[in-house]
Amino acid sequence: MKKILVANRGEIALRIMRTIKKMGIKTVAVYSEPDVQALHVRFADEAVCLGVAASSKSYLNMDKIIKFAKELGVDGIHPGYGFLSENAIFAEKVTKAGITFIGPEPDSITLMGSKLAAKDCVKKYDIPMVPGTDTAITDIPEAQKIAAEIGFPILIKASAGGGGKGMRVVEKAADFVEQMDRAISEAKSAFGDGSVFIEKYVGSPRHIEVQVLGDKHGNIVHLFERECSIQRRHQKVIEEAPSGILTPEIRQRIGEAAVKVAKSCNYVGAGTVEFLLDENLNFYFLEMNTRLQVEHPVTEYITGVDLVEEQIKIARGEKLSFSQEDLKIEGHSVELRVYAEDPLNDFLPSIGQITKYERPEGEGIRLDDAYEEGMEIPIYYDPMIAKLVTYGKDRTEAIQKMNEAIKSYKIEGFATTLPFGLFVMDHEAFRSAQFDTHFVKNFFSKEQAQNWQKAKAKNAALLALAHWKANQTNLKVAEVENTNWKKR
Amino acid sequence: MTDKNIIVNAGGFEFSFTENEISDIDVLSNKTDDFCLLHNQKTISGEIISSKDKAYKVEIDGERFQVQIKSQLDQILDNMGLNKPKVSKIKSIKAPMPGLVIEINVEEGQTVSENDKILILEAMKMENVIKIPHEAVVKKINIVKGQAVDKGQILIELE
Repeated sequence: MKKILVANRGEIALRIMRTIKKMGIKTVAVYSEPDVQALHVRFADEAVCLGVAASSKSYLNMDKIIKFAKELGVDGIHPGYGFLSENAIFAEKVTKAGITFIGPEPDSITLMGSKLAAKDCVKKYDIPMVPGTDTAITDIPEAQKIAAEIGFPILIKASAGGGGKGMRVVEKAADFVEQMDRAISEAKSAFGDGSVFIEKYVGSPRHIEVQVLGDKHGNIVHLFERECSIQRRHQKVIEEAPSGILTPEIRQRIGEAAVKVAKSCNYVGAGTVEFLLDENLNFYFLEMNTRLQVEHPVTEYITGVDLVEEQIKIARGEKLSFSQEDLKIEGHSVELRVYAEDPLNDFLPSIGQITKYERPEGEGIRLDDAYEEGMEIPIYYDPMIAKLVTYGKDRTEAIQKMNEAIKSYKIEGFATTLPFGLFVMDHEAFRSAQFDTHFVKNFFSKEQAQNWQKAKAKNAALLALAHWKANQTNLKVAEVENTNWKKR
Repeated sequence: MTDKNIIVNAGGFEFSFTENEISDIDVLSNKTDDFCLLHNQKTISGEIISSKDKAYKVEIDGERFQVQIKSQLDQILDNMGLNKPKVSKIKSIKAPMPGLVIEINVEEGQTVSENDKILILEAMKMENVIKIPHEAVVKKINIVKGQAVDKGQILIELE
């Protein structure tokens, strides 16, 4: 491959292009009109405008992307995550145009893209699964009957969904119809398919996923697990690798299960098998994501493998250069997704212009971002600004690094999830690795968040007050001249 | 009584400190970029970004707070001013974020009660149900289904 087009935007487009450049391959960026000044456009060797802001007219416009790719002599297309990454039709069109799709075969995407078909497919491999419907439903009265049989609380999920979109938890029967309405409507507008399925909602669940890599010669390995239980609105916000709770024995079993799932659909490329882990450390297969994940950097840190590089090598038909036995976990890595959202206001989008931007730097700190001071966060796309990733020799060190990195990462102009990251890093439940996907609900309700904010504001009040008083000379200044140690 | 106290507004919260409490604070470091104090056996450190009279900007752990100190004299002056009436009811529903109106559930002239669903605003691919905090009458609907709205835009006027 001599030239690769990245059919994406933002931090992931940049991150993929960095590896492409490192491999001595030319890069082509695509962009929508409001993204003309975006960093991924500047970074690429060539760039083409796809159209107006709306994703359907730009980043989702398959034919236009392929047309430009052909005109520019592109021989590979990397879809990133989101947008067209799990679109089998796109993968097929790319292949038909004589271009290599850097991802799995269209059939694997289709199969794993339908959660019901996926469950059906892995059944014969003895992979444990959560009780629920095995057919897609759109009929509300029938769904209501099934929900009552499974027992509340239940989970409604879009059949074609992903990333928490079109997913609703229903606590009691009385809320079912409205929630079902919303789930179907969201699924329709996001994926063009309103069918959903219903399953038992596991009490104290943790979200554990396993990274897999498969080549075109039938070799499949796993690159261990990622713990993604800290979520808001059913979307991940903090991830880590490895999990702070898995035993070596469970780690091996869950890894083997993930490889079996990948084998069941003849998987090629980088993929992720998601599991639910209950309080007794039983795991259940949830779904497989047939793309690079947002949180892939934590795996890269602990394995030393560049997943994008592997994707490209696999697409070129190369054999995996390592076996399962070669892969070892070294150290620990934590990731915080920095969103333009207000943690004190139910994580609602809080967007605007970045009036100040200072990146954290140092060993063991990786920042995958795509913004600069003065830029606006566009409303048309995902409100993620950056991924802050840290690495340490163990979990404690990685958390400490994250703590420091958050404090030196300055973003002004709107609220972000940075303070929330600090809250989590300092929280006893997170430090002891005893948490589940209800972390936000249990420890960061609106009221708890307000109290936490108030305590910080009180410290600010005390500092100002003490400074004011000290400078009025009324307050005694402790007789310490200069200490050699500093905070941090 | 609060008239002996100093009131401090910080980050949108109001705190009241007694003279005793204030004189119990030990300043450990008086440097503005690393200001440190001891209060109730706890150390607190941060940066005094700016101070103008009694208006401060303070940064703790990378987060900035606006702080306004009100001495007893300031409070007396405040109280001599007009007592502002407390607005407890909202007059309009504004867009909490930019987005797309995908459903309107009320009509002009309709009486709505607390927690009624008013409209659905789609933003960042999420559907957000906008509800009403108290009973009101819908005076005017300024938007139509399918319309894109900006943050803060008045969507619905109330009586």
